[in-house]
Amino acid sequence: MIPAAEFVGVTQAYGDFLAVDNLDLTIEEGKLTTLLGPSGCGKTTSLRMLAGYARPTAGKILIGGEDATALPPEKRGLGMVFQSYALFPHLTVADNVGYGLKLRKVPAAERKARVTEALELVGLGHLAARKPKALSGGQQQRVALARAIAIRPKLLLLDEPLSNLDARLRVQMRAEIRRIQAETGLTVVLVTHDQDEALEMSDTMVLMRAGKVMQTGAPDEVFPAPANRFVAEFLGYENFIPTAEGLFTVRPEQLQIASADATTPGLNLDGVITSSAYRGVDLVVGVDASAPGGETVPLISVLRRDALPAGHTGFTPGERISVTAPAPALVHLSE
Amino acid sequence: MSMIKTNNARPVLGTLAVLGYIIMIVPILFVVSTAFSTGRTVSFPPKGFTLDWFGAALGNNTFMSSLGQSLQLALIATVIALAIGVPATIAMHRGKIPGKSLVQGLFLSPLVVPELVVGLALYQQIMVVLGQSNSIALLIGHTAILLPYAVRVTGASLALADPAIEEAARGLGASPLRAFFTVTLPLLRPGIFSAALLSFVTSFNNVPLSLLLQDRSFRTLPVTMLDYIQQNYDPTIAAMSTLLLAATVVVAIIAERTVGFAKIFGGINK
Ligand SMILES: Nc1ncnc2c1ncn2[C@@H]1O[C@H](COP(=O)(O)OP(=O)(O)OP(=O)(O)O)[C@@H](O)[C@H]1O
Ligand SMILES: [Mg+2]
Repeated sequence: MIPAAEFVGVTQAYGDFLAVDNLDLTIEEGKLTTLLGPSGCGKTTSLRMLAGYARPTAGKILIGGEDATALPPEKRGLGMVFQSYALFPHLTVADNVGYGLKLRKVPAAERKARVTEALELVGLGHLAARKPKALSGGQQQRVALARAIAIRPKLLLLDEPLSNLDARLRVQMRAEIRRIQAETGLTVVLVTHDQDEALEMSDTMVLMRAGKVMQTGAPDEVFPAPANRFVAEFLGYENFIPTAEGLFTVRPEQLQIASADATTPGLNLDGVITSSAYRGVDLVVGVDASAPGGETVPLISVLRRDALPAGHTGFTPGERISVTAPAPALVHLSE
Repeated sequence: MSMIKTNNARPVLGTLAVLGYIIMIVPILFVVSTAFSTGRTVSFPPKGFTLDWFGAALGNNTFMSSLGQSLQLALIATVIALAIGVPATIAMHRGKIPGKSLVQGLFLSPLVVPELVVGLALYQQIMVVLGQSNSIALLIGHTAILLPYAVRVTGASLALADPAIEEAARGLGASPLRAFFTVTLPLLRPGIFSAALLSFVTSFNNVPLSLLLQDRSFRTLPVTMLDYIQQNYDPTIAAMSTLLLAATVVVAIIAERTVGFAKIFGGINK
């Protein structure tokens, strides 16, 4: 099957600085791909090159198997939702959504039907006559989504579509976007710097750093097996233990602390408590542990308080303990 | 701390504001009241009440013909200033022109160069060297002094507009031209309207340039009025001023209703 889009050796240079550095990436048809990475890693730049708003310095962009590198945005037939939503303030919601259809000379009756359909899809059928200014942020975001979907785009591109929404609405909209994607069968590329968002929404996640791809895969492939320290840190692995066999990492929730010598199979290290803090359901404990090579490494353990022995109120700094990274939770980092 | 400071500053600010209003309003009241006076000279306090001076002002052929010429000049100069200024502003904001700050400086320079200097230069070059009529020189001069308003006011509203809006239009299938006319221009409309209004008023009220470039065939109203008070001291001039004032108030009300003063003058303060 022909991929919906492809980046082939794409570079975007600003002077000497490479915002995107020799990017090779395949966007599969009908899937939701997320570009994930810290601020400034080149996510927006990549998306803008795909949409035609920026011309790559080198490399090719294919859409539906055809070279689109030199096509202007209006010839690409993609739907884009901007971080600022970029609604047309002088047009009503219905006219915003119908804008692309009007340009395509869709007859008025069909246009009306498709506008209604797109607005129903995002649950805003009742606000068609409003101006964007009279909508909440979440509603504006849905209008932007409906406007992009109405033209039946080859790809739907979303640049941090949820970052302007409050925490609760953001979580709600994740499911909403997945539902819309499933109902329409659209190929979606979503940019985010929120790893939870990427893990929850993606079919394929692409981790980027400084213009380069660090790792690509389904969330359940990438999360348990980060390829390198950068990916591991980005996905919330906080403990890094150098050993003779290489660098290992373990998530704070899985690092156990025992007062006596532990019996769980895994990596057992001696350590000294450095801090112990209450955090609702959890206890956050800092430990200076001696790695197998003799090096002292700072580790963090998050313990569920209801799993602690009755009457246990926390650890005291200076207390000698042993920490255990259980074998199944240990991840070997290859780079 | 800052709260206390504000409170301390308030009486001073308040006094200054009241003083400002008095300084602005008292001369206006003086002019308006003398326009209705039955006395034969401009004097205060006014005596009696009559509308005769308004009749005299409206019946004065010199006033009326120069009013027509002033309106004509202001209108044409405004249209030309916008026709040059608006595209130039858009080009400057898009940042695709070489020597951007130089061009920007060029467009704003009439704001800094004294108008008498502009007038003198135009007089020498256009009337003396090129032998053109004073109406051409006036038109060029007024257009030049209006350009900064056209550039700054539209520039301010362009700076406020989200560049992604035009990109969104492109992405939905609009050619650059189409995106400009269906999205960018409607967004700039209040800015352009404000610029037009300001330009018009600025041209209409201009004295220095018009004074330097006047002659018998083409003379603006402010210059004619200036000439008039050098020879006559009757309230006709007060009546004419009052009529202008009333017209300005009407324009201001229309502007406020359609765009709003904050928007119009916000553009200049930036
Ligand atoms: N026009 C430009 N000129 C110079 N540098 C630029 C330009 N546009 C982007 N950059 C740089 O390129 C890098 C990548 O920018 P980009 O906007 O793609 O980052 P991002 O991954 O989307 O980050 P964020 O999560 O903050 O949106 C940044 O370091 C940015 O400063
Ligand atoms: Mg970005």
